Amino acid sequence: MSAQLFFEDVNVGDLLPALSKGPLMKLQHVLYAGASGDFNPLHTDDDFARSVGMKDGVITHGMLVMGFVGQAITDWVPRKCLRDFNVRFSGMTRPGNTITITGTVKDKVAKGEEHIVVCEVVARDEAGDVKITGSFSAALPSRHG
Amino acid sequence: MADRSKVGKEYDPIVWEVERCKIREMAQAIGDFNPIYVDREAARKAGYRDTPVPPTFLTMPMMWSSSMPMLINDLKINFFMVLHGEEGYEYYKDIYPGDIITGVPRVVSVEEKVSKAGKKMDMVTIEILYTNQNGEQVAKARTLLVERR
Repeated sequence: MSAQLFFEDVNVGDLLPALSKGPLMKLQHVLYAGASGDFNPLHTDDDFARSVGMKDGVITHGMLVMGFVGQAITDWVPRKCLRDFNVRFSGMTRPGNTITITGTVKDKVAKGEEHIVVCEVVARDEAGDVKITGSFSAALPSRHG
Repeated sequence: MADRSKVGKEYDPIVWEVERCKIREMAQAIGDFNPIYVDREAARKAGYRDTPVPPTFLTMPMMWSSSMPMLINDLKINFFMVLHGEEGYEYYKDIYPGDIITGVPRVVSVEEKVSKAGKKMDMVTIEILYTNQNGEQVAKARTLLVERR
């Protein structure tokens, strides 16, 4: 975890520290199925996945990849500062992929008592293919109280 | 094709007791080793009352309650043609072990969209508003399902 981040220290255009996750193993799909309760065999059973048209077998839970993005965000801002977090799933992730999450500060706004930073995030695999695009906002403490 | 008459419908609440071990399990499955999710003292030092939940934790009550398959069925959506298009959360208050959260799923909208390839799709937005045992709203989850037709 980084040192305390203040609203005044953040500028539009700043980059979030990148986070890389992987390479993904099928075992992680099993762990995530058990944790999340998403037991769709598309994520854990190669035979089933092939039977529904995934010729390379299982695909990763989209929500696991969103979890990676959540980790990238909360490595940068404390969990309790997060106010909203939205993603669009734009590509399938597979075992063997390494997912790298990057982000950019897009806006800084005062909302009521809070000082909000608005950021965009993207998750890509090692080939640069986009898996998730998204955004989040976080309320940061101000140096001026 | 998604049943338009279900727009605005609310479903039976999901009641979910937040367990310490499930918070740990979710963090471990993601591979997020932030100590606040597993170590009460580390969480307290970081300003939390107890171990908080990771940002995508609310997928758990939704999936374990089988709320989503039930809803897909009630909306007459073809299960094999559904894609998870978007997911989003608004966070209002911290959620901690021992909290009992109640989520009320609601169909917000069903909209037809035509893909670049000219194929029709139904965009179904579902929201689940979660309240804790004190009646405080803690979070809202929004799911966009895409049904290819």
